[in-house]
Formats: sequence, C-alpha cells, structure tokens
Amino acid sequence: MKPFVFALKRQPDQRLDLAPLVPHLIAGKSAAEIAAIQLQTTREKLTAGDIFEIEHGDAQSIRFEGGSERFDNVGHGLKSGSIVVNGNAGKAIARFMSGGSVTVTGSVGPFAGSALSGGILEIEGDAGDFLGAPINGEMEGMSGGFIFVRGSAGERAGDRLRRGTIVIEGGAGDYPGSRMIAGTLIVLGSSGALPGYLMRRGTIVLARPPAIAPTFVDCGVHQLTFARVFARLLEPQSAGAAELLLRPLRRLAGDTAALGKGEVFFPA
Amino acid sequence: MVEARIDGKPAGIDAAVKRAAEILGAARFPVIAGLGTDVAGARASIALAERLRGAYDHLGSKRIFADLDVLRQAGQFLTTPNEARLHADVLLFVGRDLTRVWPKLLERLAPAEKPELALEPTARKIIWIDAGAVPAELNGLPLVTLDAPDLRSALALVRARVAGKPVAASGEETKKFDEIAKILNEAKFGAAIWGGETIDQLAIEMLYGLLADLNKTTRFSGFPVGAGDNSAGVVLTSGWMTGFPIRTGFGRGYPEHDPWRFDAIRLIESGETDAALWVSSYSQSTPQWEKDIPLVALVAPKTKFGREPQVVIEVGCPGVDHDGAEFARDTGSIIARAASNSSGAPLASAIIARIAEQIDGAV
Repeated sequence: MKPFVFALKRQPDQRLDLAPLVPHLIAGKSAAEIAAIQLQTTREKLTAGDIFEIEHGDAQSIRFEGGSERFDNVGHGLKSGSIVVNGNAGKAIARFMSGGSVTVTGSVGPFAGSALSGGILEIEGDAGDFLGAPINGEMEGMSGGFIFVRGSAGERAGDRLRRGTIVIEGGAGDYPGSRMIAGTLIVLGSSGALPGYLMRRGTIVLARPPAIAPTFVDCGVHQLTFARVFARLLEPQSAGAAELLLRPLRRLAGDTAALGKGEVFFPA
Repeated sequence: MVEARIDGKPAGIDAAVKRAAEILGAARFPVIAGLGTDVAGARASIALAERLRGAYDHLGSKRIFADLDVLRQAGQFLTTPNEARLHADVLLFVGRDLTRVWPKLLERLAPAEKPELALEPTARKIIWIDAGAVPAELNGLPLVTLDAPDLRSALALVRARVAGKPVAASGEETKKFDEIAKILNEAKFGAAIWGGETIDQLAIEMLYGLLADLNKTTRFSGFPVGAGDNSAGVVLTSGWMTGFPIRTGFGRGYPEHDPWRFDAIRLIESGETDAALWVSSYSQSTPQWEKDIPLVALVAPKTKFGREPQVVIEVGCPGVDHDGAEFARDTGSIIARAASNSSGAPLASAIIARIAEQIDGAV
C-alpha cells in the first residue's frame, strides 16, 4: 500500500504539536477527520489541513514531505509502523516511542528520542541537546531501542540513559553520557568535556575522547568478546561503530564519585 | 511625577497604559520577560500572560533552573542560613562569587562564632572550593581553600574521596582532597552553600550527591544563594498559580511548562513571539535579546536601553518605594517588606493590572 503523506504547504509561523499524527491515532479516520485535527500551540488555530496537503494511504507508513524546526513531538508514543520526515523536525521527536521506526532526513531539535523505550530513531542530520534525555523533572531517560545520529549531537547526549543504544557518528557536545544509569553511548566524532559525568553504570565508547575526569580509573587495554558480538549487531546500521568496537580499547571505570560501575572506552 | 514615554516621547500614564495594551493585545504570542518584581507583580504578570495567552520567563532563569532541575530530578537537602548559623560546625562554600551574589552572606552565617545550638559548640571549620579571593571576614579562621582549575572535577574528587573510592590523581592532589574529605566526614552538622556563575547544573547535582553520601553517616545540608530579582519568590508564586515554575505558557488556553520552548530569548530570536513586556523593578536590567520586536518596559527609573521601547513606564522598587512581599534569603521564605523610602512611584503590579483591564478577556 502507498504511504500516508503529509506534504507541507507552507512553513508554520508558530510551533506545532504533531503528536496526534501517529499511526495508532489516525488509523480508521477519514481524510476530513484527519484534516480537522488541531496542531496549534498558540491561540491561533491551525489544523492538519491548513498546514499539509494530505494524501490518504496506509496509516502504518506515514511520510512528512517537507519538515520544519517548529514541528514538535513528531512520532510521539509511536508503537509500530514507520514515520519518515523528509526535512527537519523540532523538539522531542520520537519521545515515548516504544516500537516501529522514525527517520528524519534533516536535523532535529533538543530532546530527540526522549524516554524512548523501543524501536529505531534515525537522524540523518544533527540532533540538538539532551538526545534521549528525560524532560522537566522526569527521573529516567531513554530505556530501550536504538538511536542513530549520522551528524552531530549537542550537549548531554544520553543523559540519564537507562537502557538501549545511542550511536552518534559525528561529534557530541559537552557531558556526553551524563548521569547514565545503564545502556550504551557510542560517539565516532570528537566529544565535548567530561564524558560520563555522574554516571553510575553503562558503557560509553568514544573514538576521539577529550581529557577524562580524574574520577575514572584506568583498567587497561582490552579486546572484549562482547564488543565483537555487539559490533556484529551494529554493523548493518553503523559500520563505523562496528569498526570502533573491534579495535583494542582502553577501559576506564567510573564515575567513582557516583556508583563507579560505568565504563568509558577509547582506542588504545 | 510619574515618568512614562511612548516611542521615546514623554507621555501621560493613562496613554502609556493604553498603548501598552494595544501592543500586547494585538500580538499572536506575547511573552512577559524580566519579571524582576514582587509577589503582587508576579501575580499580575502571570494573570496577564493567561489573559493574553502568552508565556512568561524570568531574567534569572539560567541560575534558577541550575538549582531547580537538580531539586526536581535528584532531590536536595535544604536548610536555611539561620539554621546553618546556629547548628553548623562545618561550612562548605562552593563558588567564587557567593558574596557578590549575596553581600550579607557571611554576616548572616557568622562563621567566626561557635554554633550556638550545637551539642558541643566548637569553632567552625570552613572549606571554600573555588574561592578566588577569600573574603576578609574569614582571616584567622580555620579555613581550607581549594582553587581547582575545573570545579566540576574538583567536586567529583571530593565526593569520591569522602566515600573512600579510588581516583586517578597524583598523591599530592589526593592528599589535599583527603584532608577536605576528613573534615566533611567528621562534621556533626555541616552546611554547604553554593551558587554564582561558576557552578553549573551538573556540578550542583554532584554537590547534592556529596550531601546525600555524607548523610549516610552524619548530618549535612545546604542552601543555594540563588539568583537575584526576587527569582525564588516569582518561582513560588508561579507554582501556586499554575502548578509550574517560570517558563510556562498559556498558548493553548491552559498552563504548559517547557523550559526550552518558553525561554523568552529563544521565543523572540526565533520569531515565535511578536511582542514583549519587560518588567524589572529591582534593577536597571534590560532585555538580553537582539531582535527588534514591539516592547513595553516597566522598569526602574533611569534604565538605559540600547533601543528605545515602544512604551516605557517607570515603576517603584518593592520594599523601597512601596511595601512589597518578596523572597528573603535570610529566612528562606516570603516576607513582607515595608517601604524604606516611600515614594509615589507606581507599583508594577498596579500598572500590569491596568494593562490587563484594557485587554479583551474573551479567549
């Protein structure tokens, strides 16, 4: 079946909340019902029909033709199916997603993949700050699934990561993997200051590490069997991550200021 | 004589209020920023934001959220300066500009005095991390200072050594951190005081973790010196009015809190906001954004603007020109302050209420 297409008519002059445009919320609705869904975040009403040319299709496969950095909450709570954004997206794309896939050809704002618990989020451009992180007082960040960022990510990527894997093929801003509880963060480009600050458990692999904080202690150089298995898993999605994991890696344990059961690896 | 200007020309206050209401009422998504005002001013501002279906933010947001995000994501042990003065046998200061943020800090804590209500009052031990120039009040007192090149790493090292965990530092360095760790571990009732520009959100969370670790074997609490311009009072007022702190918006007719979306500077620079009300009655602060949008400013007298706002109305300072309720660091609560030099200068809250009256309340 052909995909369900939302083609952008014009750039919105306010931020839009696209949370209602996910497969499980539009399935079974008529074209007119979908066109009437309200997306505005200010007192000026804007419906899906005002913003998009809508082409009815398979609700399990949604395409946004043309994006905007004002598109917030794209793929919010996605359970299954796929969403493709041909363009940019705003804040909190794929937040609370538990299955399926979200792909963005452009760049996205902060809190991408926030509290993601399953499925795959792929960002071909850059991601903003707080990739996979919790929002406003929540206790946990991403708790499962995969995030692949082909460009760079901002500060505090993987903040409070609980489970799941994040691969950033470009660089990361300051504090990558801050407050990690578990899970894996891999950065193939350069990293900002103080990776793993306050991390309790979990794994950070950095191809080009900055100076590591003194509360990470050296555990020597390793070629771990698990890294080889993990490399095989990631190979189809990120050849660069697989290649990094196959190299001899120096392991530092920390953050000993917190629980200290986390680890930071980088090429020996 | 009340000072008001419209487009840079002297104007009567009625005309200025009317023009302000026109500008804000015509905006698609206005923001009320600055919010340097007392509890009444904050109440009026938030009510106006609701009527306009706009958003509001405070000029001290960065510092406010550095503490608030730790409080709501990790928790904090909090005490008051008075409690610290009466009980604390160890004072742990973190940050180099604490006494600039709160000039009366050391007067209130009286570090040279023995803690009156301690079980066995002894001379206080003092630690200052990232001290810079040590204030003269501490000369001759038992003081250990630590000027680390990186405050975040220094706090991590202190916390690791307090818990007896290994670190990757030289023997000499470790000795210094162990000396500090020993004082902290031996405290009967310690108090940490932090704030200023050099300590960021994660460093505060590290410091909180240190306090949590210390509380496994002893008592240790603390307080932030926070931001100025009644920031804590405005946050509390916002809390009881909307259930949320600052950076809350009413765009959809109900309060939504989003520290990223409702950052006033971001809203204005991105073009999402098309008019602003700036309130600063404690200081001559001016907006930090670059973009030229219609601006109504309720400000302290003689405030200098890089670009003249469409409407300026000078307002009095709470607790000086008029009575006001505001957050007091001394007691850690909201107090009533009588005017110290009562004048006829208008109250920001009264002007904001008059602007609101002229805006159609229908939503």
